[in-house]
Amino acid sequence: MKAFAYIRPQSAEAAAAALADNDGALIKANGIDLLDRMKERVDEPNALVGLVDVEAFDSIEVEEDGGIRIGAGATLAQLAASQVVERFLPSLAYAAGHAASPQLRTRATVGGNLGQHTRCGYYRHKSFPCLKRGGDHCPVLKPGGVQDTAAIFGNGTCASASPSSLAPVFGSLDAVLTVRRGEATREVPFAEAWAEPKAGWASDLVFDREDLIESVHIPARAEPQRLGYEEVRQKAAFDWPLTACGVRLVAEGNTVKEARVWLGSVAPTPLRSEAAEKVLVGKSFTEARARAAGEAAVTGASPLPGNTYKVQLTKVVVRRALMQAWGRS
Amino acid sequence: MSKSDRRGVTRRALFKGAGLAAASGAVLKPLEALAKEEGASGPRVQGPGAVKATLEVNGAKQTLEVEPRTTLLQALRLPLDLTGAKPVCDRGQCGACTVLLDGEPVYSCTVLAVEAEGRKVTTCEGLGTPENLHAVQQAFVDHDGAQCGFCTPGMVVACAYAVAKHGKDLTEAQAREATAGNLCRCGTYPHVLKAAVAAAKEG
Repeated sequence: MKAFAYIRPQSAEAAAAALADNDGALIKANGIDLLDRMKERVDEPNALVGLVDVEAFDSIEVEEDGGIRIGAGATLAQLAASQVVERFLPSLAYAAGHAASPQLRTRATVGGNLGQHTRCGYYRHKSFPCLKRGGDHCPVLKPGGVQDTAAIFGNGTCASASPSSLAPVFGSLDAVLTVRRGEATREVPFAEAWAEPKAGWASDLVFDREDLIESVHIPARAEPQRLGYEEVRQKAAFDWPLTACGVRLVAEGNTVKEARVWLGSVAPTPLRSEAAEKVLVGKSFTEARARAAGEAAVTGASPLPGNTYKVQLTKVVVRRALMQAWGRS
Repeated sequence: MSKSDRRGVTRRALFKGAGLAAASGAVLKPLEALAKEEGASGPRVQGPGAVKATLEVNGAKQTLEVEPRTTLLQALRLPLDLTGAKPVCDRGQCGACTVLLDGEPVYSCTVLAVEAEGRKVTTCEGLGTPENLHAVQQAFVDHDGAQCGFCTPGMVVACAYAVAKHGKDLTEAQAREATAGNLCRCGTYPHVLKAAVAAAKEG
Protein backbone atom coordinates (compact mmCIF):
# COMPACT_ATOMS: atom_id res chain seq x y z
CA MET A 1 0.00 0.00 0.00
CA LYS A 2 1.11 3.54 -0.62
CA ALA A 3 1.26 5.78 2.43
CA PHE A 4 -1.95 7.62 3.26
CA ALA A 5 -3.27 9.99 5.89
CA TYR A 6 -6.02 8.47 8.01
CA ILE A 7 -8.84 10.86 8.81
CA ARG A 8 -11.16 9.79 11.63
CA PRO A 9 -14.40 11.81 11.76
CA GLN A 10 -16.89 11.05 14.52
CA SER A 11 -20.09 11.61 12.58
CA ALA A 12 -21.44 10.93 9.10
CA GLU A 13 -21.67 14.70 8.56
CA ALA A 14 -17.99 15.17 9.43
CA ALA A 15 -17.07 12.22 7.21
CA ALA A 16 -18.89 13.78 4.26
CA ALA A 17 -17.14 17.09 4.94
CA ALA A 18 -13.76 15.37 5.08
CA LEU A 19 -14.43 13.71 1.72
CA ALA A 20 -15.38 17.05 0.21
CA ASP A 21 -12.31 18.75 1.67
CA ASN A 22 -9.81 16.16 0.50
CA ASP A 23 -9.75 15.53 -3.24
CA GLY A 24 -7.82 12.28 -3.12
CA ALA A 25 -9.55 10.74 -0.12
CA LEU A 26 -11.66 7.60 -0.27
CA ILE A 27 -14.24 6.46 2.26
CA LYS A 28 -13.33 3.41 4.31
CA ALA A 29 -15.63 1.31 6.49
CA ASN A 30 -13.73 -1.81 7.50
CA GLY A 31 -11.91 -1.86 4.19
CA ILE A 32 -12.12 -5.56 3.34
CA ASP A 33 -12.27 -4.77 -0.37
CA LEU A 34 -10.60 -1.35 -0.36
CA LEU A 35 -7.40 -2.49 1.37
CA ASP A 36 -7.23 -5.38 -1.10
CA ARG A 37 -7.34 -2.92 -3.99
CA MET A 38 -4.81 -0.66 -2.32
CA LYS A 39 -2.41 -3.56 -1.77
CA GLU A 40 -2.71 -4.34 -5.49
CA ARG A 41 -2.28 -0.59 -6.19
CA VAL A 42 -5.47 -0.60 -8.20
CA ASP A 43 -6.42 2.25 -5.86
CA GLU A 44 -3.82 4.64 -4.46
CA PRO A 45 -5.64 7.23 -2.35
CA ASN A 46 -3.52 9.75 -0.47
CA ALA A 47 -6.00 9.76 2.39
CA LEU A 48 -8.73 7.55 3.79
CA VAL A 49 -11.77 8.82 5.65
CA GLY A 50 -12.33 6.02 8.15
CA LEU A 51 -15.76 5.40 9.66
CA VAL A 52 -14.33 3.48 12.62
CA ASP A 53 -15.19 6.25 15.10
CA VAL A 54 -18.64 7.09 13.71
CA GLU A 55 -21.23 6.11 16.29
CA ALA A 56 -24.54 4.36 15.61
CA PHE A 57 -23.44 3.60 12.08
CA ASP A 58 -24.10 -0.09 12.66
CA SER A 59 -27.57 -0.05 14.18
CA ILE A 60 -30.40 -2.32 13.02
CA GLU A 61 -33.75 -0.78 13.97
CA VAL A 62 -37.42 -1.52 13.51
CA GLU A 63 -39.15 1.79 12.87
CA GLU A 64 -42.56 2.78 14.18
CA ASP A 65 -44.34 1.85 10.96
CA GLY A 66 -42.60 -1.53 10.83
CA GLY A 67 -39.93 -0.56 8.32
CA ILE A 68 -36.41 -1.71 9.09
CA ARG A 69 -33.37 0.52 8.87
CA ILE A 70 -29.95 -1.08 8.67
CA GLY A 71 -26.91 1.10 9.25
CA ALA A 72 -24.37 0.80 6.44
CA GLY A 73 -21.74 0.00 9.05
CA ALA A 74 -23.58 -3.10 10.31
CA THR A 75 -21.47 -6.18 9.68
CA LEU A 76 -22.60 -9.33 7.93
CA ALA A 77 -22.07 -11.18 11.22
CA GLN A 78 -24.42 -8.70 12.91
CA LEU A 79 -27.08 -9.24 10.23
CA ALA A 80 -26.76 -13.00 10.54
CA ALA A 81 -27.10 -12.85 14.34
CA SER A 82 -29.85 -10.20 14.49
CA GLN A 83 -33.21 -11.47 15.75
CA VAL A 84 -34.96 -8.72 13.82
CA VAL A 85 -33.31 -9.77 10.57
CA GLU A 86 -33.84 -13.47 11.26
CA ARG A 87 -37.53 -12.95 11.99
CA PHE A 88 -38.53 -10.39 9.36
CA LEU A 89 -35.87 -10.76 6.66
CA PRO A 90 -34.78 -14.42 6.69
CA SER A 91 -33.42 -14.23 3.13
CA LEU A 92 -31.09 -11.43 4.20
CA ALA A 93 -29.98 -13.35 7.30
CA TYR A 94 -29.16 -16.34 5.12
CA ALA A 95 -27.26 -14.35 2.47
CA ALA A 96 -25.26 -12.48 5.12
CA GLY A 97 -24.59 -15.58 7.19
CA HIS A 98 -23.23 -17.59 4.27
CA ALA A 99 -21.15 -14.95 2.53
CA ALA A 100 -17.37 -15.14 2.54
CA SER A 101 -15.98 -16.65 5.77
CA PRO A 102 -16.58 -16.13 9.51
CA GLN A 103 -13.53 -13.87 9.83
CA LEU A 104 -14.68 -11.70 6.91
CA ARG A 105 -18.26 -11.54 8.16
CA THR A 106 -16.95 -10.16 11.46
CA ARG A 107 -15.63 -7.15 9.55
CA ALA A 108 -17.45 -6.86 6.21
CA THR A 109 -20.16 -4.20 6.34
CA VAL A 110 -23.45 -3.74 4.49
CA GLY A 111 -22.18 -0.59 2.78
CA GLY A 112 -18.93 -2.27 1.86
CA ASN A 113 -20.69 -5.35 0.55
CA LEU A 114 -22.78 -3.19 -1.80
CA GLY A 115 -19.83 -0.98 -2.71
CA GLN A 116 -17.23 -3.70 -3.26
CA HIS A 117 -15.73 -3.64 -6.72
CA THR A 118 -15.95 -6.50 -9.18
CA ARG A 119 -13.91 -9.63 -8.51
CA CYS A 120 -12.92 -9.75 -12.18
CA GLY A 121 -9.27 -10.81 -12.23
CA TYR A 122 -8.45 -8.39 -15.04
CA TYR A 123 -9.86 -5.44 -13.11
CA ARG A 124 -7.77 -6.40 -10.10
CA HIS A 125 -4.47 -6.75 -11.92
CA LYS A 126 -2.90 -3.62 -13.30
CA SER A 127 -0.89 -5.56 -15.91
CA PHE A 128 -4.11 -6.06 -17.87
CA PRO A 129 -6.18 -3.46 -19.64
CA CYS A 130 -9.68 -3.04 -18.21
CA LEU A 131 -12.58 -0.89 -19.29
CA LYS A 132 -13.51 -0.10 -15.69
CA ARG A 133 -9.98 1.16 -15.07
CA GLY A 134 -10.18 3.40 -18.12
CA GLY A 135 -8.81 0.97 -20.71
CA ASP A 136 -10.22 0.79 -24.23
CA HIS A 137 -11.58 -2.75 -24.00
CA CYS A 138 -12.52 -5.64 -21.73
CA PRO A 139 -10.08 -8.56 -22.01
CA VAL A 140 -12.74 -11.00 -20.80
CA LEU A 141 -14.47 -10.57 -24.17
CA LYS A 142 -11.32 -11.27 -26.24
CA PRO A 143 -10.56 -14.78 -27.51
CA GLY A 144 -8.83 -16.61 -24.67
CA GLY A 145 -10.32 -14.32 -22.04
CA VAL A 146 -11.11 -15.99 -18.72
CA GLN A 147 -14.91 -16.05 -18.76
CA ASP A 148 -16.09 -18.66 -16.28
CA THR A 149 -17.31 -16.26 -13.59
CA ALA A 150 -18.18 -13.41 -15.97
CA ALA A 151 -21.57 -11.86 -16.68
CA ILE A 152 -24.18 -13.55 -18.88
CA PHE A 153 -26.33 -10.41 -19.23
CA GLY A 154 -25.36 -6.89 -20.28
CA ASN A 155 -21.84 -8.00 -21.06
CA GLY A 156 -21.32 -6.24 -24.40
CA THR A 157 -18.62 -3.80 -23.31
CA CYS A 158 -17.57 -5.13 -19.88
CA ALA A 159 -18.32 -8.63 -18.65
CA SER A 160 -17.72 -8.08 -14.95
CA ALA A 161 -20.19 -9.81 -12.64
CA SER A 162 -21.71 -8.00 -9.69
CA PRO A 163 -20.10 -9.60 -6.60
CA SER A 164 -22.53 -8.68 -3.82
CA SER A 165 -24.68 -11.47 -2.40
CA LEU A 166 -26.74 -9.00 -0.37
CA ALA A 167 -27.67 -7.03 -3.50
CA PRO A 168 -30.26 -9.42 -4.99
CA VAL A 169 -31.87 -9.68 -1.54
CA PHE A 170 -32.07 -5.92 -1.04
CA GLY A 171 -33.41 -5.65 -4.59
CA SER A 172 -36.18 -8.14 -3.82
CA LEU A 173 -37.05 -6.16 -0.68
CA ASP A 174 -37.41 -2.87 -2.65
CA ALA A 175 -34.75 -1.39 -0.40
CA VAL A 176 -34.02 2.33 -0.41
CA LEU A 177 -30.52 3.63 0.26
CA THR A 178 -29.93 6.79 2.27
CA VAL A 179 -26.93 8.49 0.74
CA ARG A 180 -25.15 11.49 2.16
CA ARG A 181 -23.26 14.09 0.22
CA GLY A 182 -22.03 17.07 2.19
CA GLU A 183 -24.77 18.24 4.52
CA ALA A 184 -27.64 16.73 2.53
CA THR A 185 -28.96 13.21 2.37
CA ARG A 186 -31.09 11.71 -0.37
CA GLU A 187 -33.13 8.55 -0.73
CA VAL A 188 -32.12 6.35 -3.66
CA PRO A 189 -34.36 3.43 -4.69
CA PHE A 190 -32.24 0.31 -4.97
CA ALA A 191 -32.84 -0.10 -8.70
CA GLU A 192 -31.46 3.39 -9.34
CA ALA A 193 -28.25 2.84 -7.38
CA TRP A 194 -26.41 0.87 -10.07
CA ALA A 195 -24.31 2.09 -12.98
CA GLU A 196 -23.95 0.35 -16.34
CA PRO A 197 -20.27 -0.25 -17.12
CA LYS A 198 -18.48 2.67 -18.71
CA ALA A 199 -14.83 3.45 -19.32
CA GLY A 200 -13.06 4.65 -16.20
CA TRP A 201 -16.01 4.08 -13.82
CA ALA A 202 -14.64 1.45 -11.44
CA SER A 203 -17.59 1.21 -9.07
CA ASP A 204 -20.72 -0.81 -9.79
CA LEU A 205 -22.73 1.94 -8.08
CA VAL A 206 -23.73 5.34 -9.48
CA PHE A 207 -22.37 7.04 -6.38
CA ASP A 208 -19.11 8.90 -6.64
CA ARG A 209 -16.21 9.53 -4.29
CA GLU A 210 -18.06 12.05 -2.15
CA ASP A 211 -21.19 9.95 -1.65
CA LEU A 212 -21.55 8.04 1.59
CA ILE A 213 -24.13 5.27 1.98
CA GLU A 214 -25.52 5.82 5.49
CA SER A 215 -28.21 3.19 5.74
CA VAL A 216 -30.45 0.77 3.90
CA HIS A 217 -34.19 1.04 4.49
CA ILE A 218 -36.58 -1.87 4.05
CA PRO A 219 -40.10 -0.45 3.71
CA ALA A 220 -42.90 -1.72 5.94
CA ARG A 221 -45.45 -4.06 4.38
CA ALA A 222 -49.02 -4.63 5.45
CA GLU A 223 -49.18 -8.18 4.10
CA PRO A 224 -47.03 -11.17 5.02
CA GLN A 225 -43.98 -11.48 2.81
CA ARG A 226 -42.43 -14.72 1.68
CA LEU A 227 -38.72 -14.27 1.15
CA GLY A 228 -36.10 -16.48 -0.44
CA TYR A 229 -32.45 -16.39 -1.40
CA GLU A 230 -30.38 -19.00 -3.17
CA GLU A 231 -26.92 -18.96 -4.65
CA VAL A 232 -24.42 -21.32 -6.25
CA ARG A 233 -20.71 -21.00 -5.63
CA GLN A 234 -17.62 -22.92 -6.72
CA LYS A 235 -16.73 -23.44 -3.06
CA ALA A 236 -19.13 -24.19 -0.21
CA ALA A 237 -17.59 -21.35 1.81
CA PHE A 238 -15.11 -18.49 1.41
CA ASP A 239 -16.28 -17.58 -2.08
CA TRP A 240 -18.50 -15.26 -4.09
CA PRO A 241 -21.65 -16.51 -5.85
CA LEU A 242 -21.52 -17.62 -9.48
CA THR A 243 -25.19 -16.84 -9.65
CA ALA A 244 -27.69 -15.80 -6.99
CA CYS A 245 -31.37 -14.96 -6.69
CA GLY A 246 -33.37 -13.03 -4.11
CA VAL A 247 -37.17 -13.21 -4.23
CA ARG A 248 -40.16 -11.77 -2.43
CA LEU A 249 -43.67 -13.11 -2.87
CA VAL A 250 -47.03 -12.01 -1.55
CA ALA A 251 -49.67 -14.71 -1.66
CA GLU A 252 -53.45 -14.70 -1.71
CA GLY A 253 -54.39 -18.29 -1.04
CA ASN A 254 -52.52 -20.28 -3.62
CA THR A 255 -52.17 -17.33 -5.97
CA VAL A 256 -49.12 -15.10 -6.25
CA LYS A 257 -50.34 -11.56 -5.81
CA GLU A 258 -46.99 -9.84 -5.98
CA ALA A 259 -43.51 -11.03 -6.97
CA ARG A 260 -40.09 -9.49 -6.96
CA VAL A 261 -37.20 -11.44 -8.50
CA TRP A 262 -33.63 -10.11 -8.50
CA LEU A 263 -30.55 -11.85 -9.85
CA GLY A 264 -27.01 -11.40 -8.57
CA SER A 265 -23.60 -12.19 -10.06
CA VAL A 266 -24.92 -12.60 -13.61
CA ALA A 267 -24.55 -9.03 -14.91
CA PRO A 268 -22.28 -6.06 -14.22
CA THR A 269 -24.97 -4.90 -11.77
CA PRO A 270 -27.71 -6.66 -9.76
CA LEU A 271 -30.55 -7.37 -12.17
CA ARG A 272 -34.30 -7.37 -11.68
CA SER A 273 -36.10 -10.01 -13.72
CA GLU A 274 -39.50 -8.65 -14.62
CA ALA A 275 -39.86 -11.54 -17.06
CA ALA A 276 -39.74 -13.99 -14.17
CA GLU A 277 -42.15 -11.86 -12.12
CA LYS A 278 -44.67 -11.80 -14.98
CA VAL A 279 -44.73 -15.60 -15.10
CA LEU A 280 -45.69 -15.67 -11.41
CA VAL A 281 -48.09 -12.82 -10.76
CA GLY A 282 -51.78 -13.70 -10.84
CA LYS A 283 -51.07 -17.42 -11.18
CA SER A 284 -51.28 -20.24 -8.70
CA PHE A 285 -47.90 -21.24 -7.34
CA THR A 286 -46.57 -24.67 -8.28
CA GLU A 287 -43.10 -26.09 -8.75
CA ALA A 288 -43.75 -26.05 -12.50
CA ARG A 289 -44.56 -22.35 -12.22
CA ALA A 290 -41.30 -21.74 -10.34
CA ARG A 291 -39.45 -23.66 -13.03
CA ALA A 292 -41.10 -21.56 -15.74
CA ALA A 293 -40.04 -18.42 -13.88
CA GLY A 294 -36.47 -19.71 -13.94
CA GLU A 295 -36.72 -20.22 -17.70
CA ALA A 296 -38.13 -16.73 -18.12
CA ALA A 297 -35.38 -15.23 -15.99
CA VAL A 298 -32.71 -16.21 -18.52
CA THR A 299 -34.51 -14.97 -21.63
CA GLY A 300 -32.24 -12.47 -23.31
CA ALA A 301 -29.10 -13.89 -21.70
CA SER A 302 -25.97 -13.48 -23.80
CA PRO A 303 -23.54 -15.98 -22.30
CA LEU A 304 -19.92 -16.05 -23.47
CA PRO A 305 -18.34 -19.23 -24.83
CA GLY A 306 -16.74 -19.78 -21.42
CA ASN A 307 -19.78 -19.36 -19.20
CA THR A 308 -22.85 -20.85 -20.90
CA TYR A 309 -23.17 -23.08 -17.82
CA LYS A 310 -24.23 -20.06 -15.76
CA VAL A 311 -27.51 -19.90 -17.73
CA GLN A 312 -28.59 -23.30 -16.42
CA LEU A 313 -27.38 -22.48 -12.89
CA THR A 314 -29.40 -19.29 -12.95
CA LYS A 315 -32.60 -21.12 -13.92
CA VAL A 316 -31.99 -23.42 -10.98
CA VAL A 317 -31.31 -20.73 -8.35
CA VAL A 318 -34.45 -18.86 -9.39
CA ARG A 319 -36.56 -21.99 -8.98
CA ARG A 320 -34.92 -22.86 -5.66
CA ALA A 321 -35.30 -19.34 -4.27
CA LEU A 322 -38.99 -19.33 -5.22
CA MET A 323 -39.58 -22.76 -3.68
CA GLN A 324 -37.80 -21.65 -0.53
CA ALA A 325 -39.88 -18.47 -0.31
CA TRP A 326 -43.16 -20.26 -0.95
CA GLY A 327 -42.33 -22.81 1.74
CA ARG A 328 -42.10 -20.00 4.28
CA SER A 329 -45.49 -18.74 5.38
CA MET B 1 20.18 -1.10 -6.31
CA SER B 2 18.89 -3.29 -3.50
CA LYS B 3 15.19 -3.71 -2.85
CA SER B 4 15.30 -1.66 0.34
CA ASP B 5 17.15 1.16 -1.43
CA ARG B 6 14.52 1.27 -4.10
CA ARG B 7 11.83 1.40 -1.48
CA GLY B 8 13.64 4.24 0.28
CA VAL B 9 13.83 6.30 -2.89
CA THR B 10 10.18 5.76 -3.59
CA ARG B 11 9.20 6.88 -0.13
CA ARG B 12 11.38 9.99 -0.27
CA ALA B 13 9.98 10.80 -3.68
CA LEU B 14 6.47 10.44 -2.33
CA PHE B 15 6.98 12.91 0.48
CA LYS B 16 8.93 15.31 -1.69
CA GLY B 17 6.06 15.14 -4.16
CA ALA B 18 3.61 15.65 -1.34
CA GLY B 19 5.33 18.83 -0.23
CA LEU B 20 5.36 20.27 -3.72
CA ALA B 21 1.76 19.41 -4.34
CA ALA B 22 0.66 20.96 -1.07
CA ALA B 23 2.65 24.09 -1.86
CA SER B 24 0.92 24.41 -5.21
CA GLY B 25 -2.44 23.77 -3.61
CA ALA B 26 -3.03 20.80 -5.90
CA VAL B 27 -3.42 17.08 -5.47
CA LEU B 28 -2.40 16.51 -1.89
CA LYS B 29 -4.92 18.58 -0.05
CA PRO B 30 -5.06 16.06 2.84
CA LEU B 31 -1.58 17.01 3.97
CA GLU B 32 -2.57 20.64 3.95
CA ALA B 33 -5.68 19.73 5.90
CA LEU B 34 -3.56 17.73 8.29
CA ALA B 35 -1.44 20.72 9.22
CA LYS B 36 -4.54 22.85 9.55
CA GLU B 37 -6.50 20.47 11.68
CA GLU B 38 -3.98 19.17 14.14
CA GLY B 39 -5.00 20.58 17.48
CA ALA B 40 -7.98 22.27 15.87
CA SER B 41 -11.61 21.19 16.04
CA GLY B 42 -11.66 19.13 12.83
CA PRO B 43 -11.54 15.35 12.71
CA ARG B 44 -8.56 13.50 14.07
CA VAL B 45 -5.95 12.86 11.36
CA GLN B 46 -3.22 10.26 11.63
CA GLY B 47 -0.18 10.06 9.35
CA PRO B 48 0.69 9.58 6.55
CA GLY B 49 3.94 9.11 8.52
CA ALA B 50 4.40 7.09 11.68
CA VAL B 51 2.02 7.78 14.55
CA LYS B 52 1.80 6.42 18.07
CA ALA B 53 -0.85 3.81 18.69
CA THR B 54 -1.57 1.93 21.91
CA LEU B 55 -2.71 -1.63 21.36
CA GLU B 56 -3.88 -4.11 23.95
CA VAL B 57 -2.43 -7.41 22.82
CA ASN B 58 -2.84 -10.58 24.86
CA GLY B 59 -3.75 -8.51 27.91
CA ALA B 60 -0.77 -6.11 27.78
CA LYS B 61 -1.00 -2.52 26.59
CA GLN B 62 1.83 -1.55 24.27
CA THR B 63 2.50 1.72 22.54
CA LEU B 64 3.90 1.38 19.03
CA GLU B 65 4.91 3.64 16.20
CA VAL B 66 2.98 2.60 13.10
CA GLU B 67 1.98 4.22 9.84
CA PRO B 68 -1.74 4.26 9.06
CA ARG B 69 -1.03 1.75 6.29
CA THR B 70 0.50 -0.73 8.75
CA THR B 71 -1.80 -3.71 9.12
CA LEU B 72 -2.48 -5.26 12.50
CA LEU B 73 -0.69 -8.36 11.20
CA GLN B 74 2.44 -6.34 10.42
CA ALA B 75 2.35 -4.62 13.82
CA LEU B 76 1.96 -7.93 15.64
CA ARG B 77 4.88 -9.54 13.85
CA LEU B 78 7.52 -6.86 13.66
CA PRO B 79 7.42 -4.44 16.54
CA LEU B 80 5.70 -6.93 18.84
CA ASP B 81 7.54 -10.08 17.72
CA LEU B 82 4.36 -12.15 17.92
CA THR B 83 5.01 -14.34 14.91
CA GLY B 84 2.18 -16.82 15.43
CA ALA B 85 -0.14 -15.03 13.01
CA LYS B 86 1.32 -15.76 9.58
CA PRO B 87 1.47 -13.47 6.54
CA VAL B 88 0.50 -15.85 3.73
CA CYS B 89 -1.90 -14.28 1.24
CA ASP B 90 -2.15 -10.81 2.86
CA ARG B 91 -5.57 -10.53 1.17
CA GLY B 92 -8.02 -12.07 3.64
CA GLN B 93 -8.18 -15.22 1.54
CA CYS B 94 -6.35 -17.86 3.60
CA GLY B 95 -6.90 -17.46 7.35
CA ALA B 96 -3.31 -17.90 8.51
CA CYS B 97 -3.31 -14.50 10.23
CA THR B 98 -6.53 -15.07 12.21
CA VAL B 99 -6.64 -13.33 15.60
CA LEU B 100 -9.46 -12.33 17.92
CA LEU B 101 -10.49 -8.67 17.98
CA ASP B 102 -12.67 -8.03 21.03
CA GLY B 103 -13.19 -11.78 21.10
CA GLU B 104 -14.37 -12.09 17.47
CA PRO B 105 -12.27 -13.78 14.78
CA VAL B 106 -10.75 -11.50 12.12
CA TYR B 107 -7.98 -11.64 9.57
CA SER B 108 -5.31 -9.35 11.01
CA CYS B 109 -4.11 -8.55 7.46
CA THR B 110 -7.46 -6.83 6.79
CA VAL B 111 -7.34 -4.59 9.90
CA LEU B 112 -5.29 -1.39 10.15
CA ALA B 113 -3.20 -1.31 13.31
CA VAL B 114 -4.44 2.20 14.14
CA GLU B 115 -8.01 0.89 14.05
CA ALA B 116 -7.23 -1.72 16.71
CA GLU B 117 -6.59 1.00 19.29
CA GLY B 118 -8.84 0.61 22.30
CA ARG B 119 -9.76 -2.94 21.35
CA LYS B 120 -8.56 -6.25 22.74
CA VAL B 121 -6.37 -8.31 20.42
CA THR B 122 -5.77 -11.98 21.19
CA THR B 123 -3.26 -13.94 19.15
CA CYS B 124 -2.41 -17.63 19.21
CA GLU B 125 0.31 -16.77 21.76
CA GLY B 126 -2.29 -15.24 24.07
CA LEU B 127 -4.41 -18.38 24.34
CA GLY B 128 -2.01 -20.48 26.44
CA THR B 129 1.63 -20.80 27.41
CA PRO B 130 4.07 -23.61 26.54
CA GLU B 131 3.75 -24.82 30.13
CA ASN B 132 0.01 -24.41 30.27
CA LEU B 133 -1.47 -24.93 26.82
CA HIS B 134 -4.99 -23.85 25.93
CA ALA B 135 -7.30 -26.87 25.57
CA VAL B 136 -7.36 -26.37 21.79
CA GLN B 137 -3.56 -26.20 21.60
CA GLN B 138 -3.25 -29.40 23.64
CA ALA B 139 -5.86 -31.09 21.48
CA PHE B 140 -3.94 -30.14 18.33
CA VAL B 141 -0.91 -31.92 19.84
CA ASP B 142 -2.95 -34.96 20.88
CA HIS B 143 -4.82 -35.30 17.57
CA ASP B 144 -2.04 -34.40 15.11
CA GLY B 145 -3.81 -31.18 14.19
CA ALA B 146 -0.75 -29.80 12.39
CA GLN B 147 1.25 -31.00 9.43
CA CYS B 148 3.51 -28.28 7.95
CA GLY B 149 2.16 -25.95 10.63
CA PHE B 150 1.71 -22.80 8.60
CA CYS B 151 -2.06 -22.60 8.91
CA THR B 152 -1.99 -23.92 12.48
CA PRO B 153 -1.96 -20.69 14.53
CA GLY B 154 -4.94 -19.39 12.53
CA MET B 155 -6.73 -22.73 12.86
CA VAL B 156 -6.08 -22.78 16.62
CA VAL B 157 -7.53 -19.28 17.05
CA ALA B 158 -10.58 -20.12 14.90
CA CYS B 159 -11.15 -23.33 16.89
CA ALA B 160 -10.67 -21.55 20.22
CA TYR B 161 -13.40 -19.12 19.15
CA ALA B 162 -15.70 -22.02 18.23
CA VAL B 163 -15.07 -23.69 21.60
CA ALA B 164 -15.76 -20.44 23.45
CA LYS B 165 -18.94 -19.85 21.44
CA HIS B 166 -20.47 -23.33 21.49
CA GLY B 167 -18.96 -24.80 24.67
CA LYS B 168 -18.93 -28.52 25.46
CA ASP B 169 -21.55 -29.32 22.84
CA LEU B 170 -19.46 -28.09 19.90
CA THR B 171 -20.27 -30.36 16.94
CA GLU B 172 -17.98 -31.26 14.11
CA ALA B 173 -20.28 -29.32 11.75
CA GLN B 174 -19.92 -26.20 13.92
CA ALA B 175 -16.15 -26.63 14.01
CA ARG B 176 -16.18 -26.99 10.23
CA GLU B 177 -18.20 -23.77 9.91
CA ALA B 178 -15.85 -21.94 12.31
CA THR B 179 -12.80 -22.97 10.27
CA ALA B 180 -14.44 -22.38 6.86
CA GLY B 181 -12.21 -19.32 6.48
CA ASN B 182 -8.94 -21.15 7.16
CA LEU B 183 -7.20 -22.96 4.33
CA CYS B 184 -4.76 -25.84 4.85
CA ARG B 185 -2.67 -26.93 1.89
CA CYS B 186 -1.71 -30.18 3.66
CA GLY B 187 -5.38 -31.09 3.99
CA THR B 188 -5.26 -31.78 7.69
CA TYR B 189 -8.85 -30.67 8.18
CA PRO B 190 -10.18 -33.95 9.68
CA HIS B 191 -7.60 -33.77 12.47
CA VAL B 192 -8.30 -30.09 13.08
CA LEU B 193 -12.01 -30.85 13.47
CA LYS B 194 -11.32 -33.79 15.79
CA ALA B 195 -9.04 -31.60 17.89
CA ALA B 196 -11.65 -28.84 18.14
CA VAL B 197 -14.41 -31.23 19.23
CA ALA B 198 -12.07 -32.94 21.73
CA ALA B 199 -10.97 -29.59 23.17
CA ALA B 200 -14.59 -28.55 23.65
CA LYS B 201 -15.30 -31.75 25.61
CA GLU B 202 -12.24 -31.10 27.79
CA GLY B 203 -13.70 -27.68 28.57
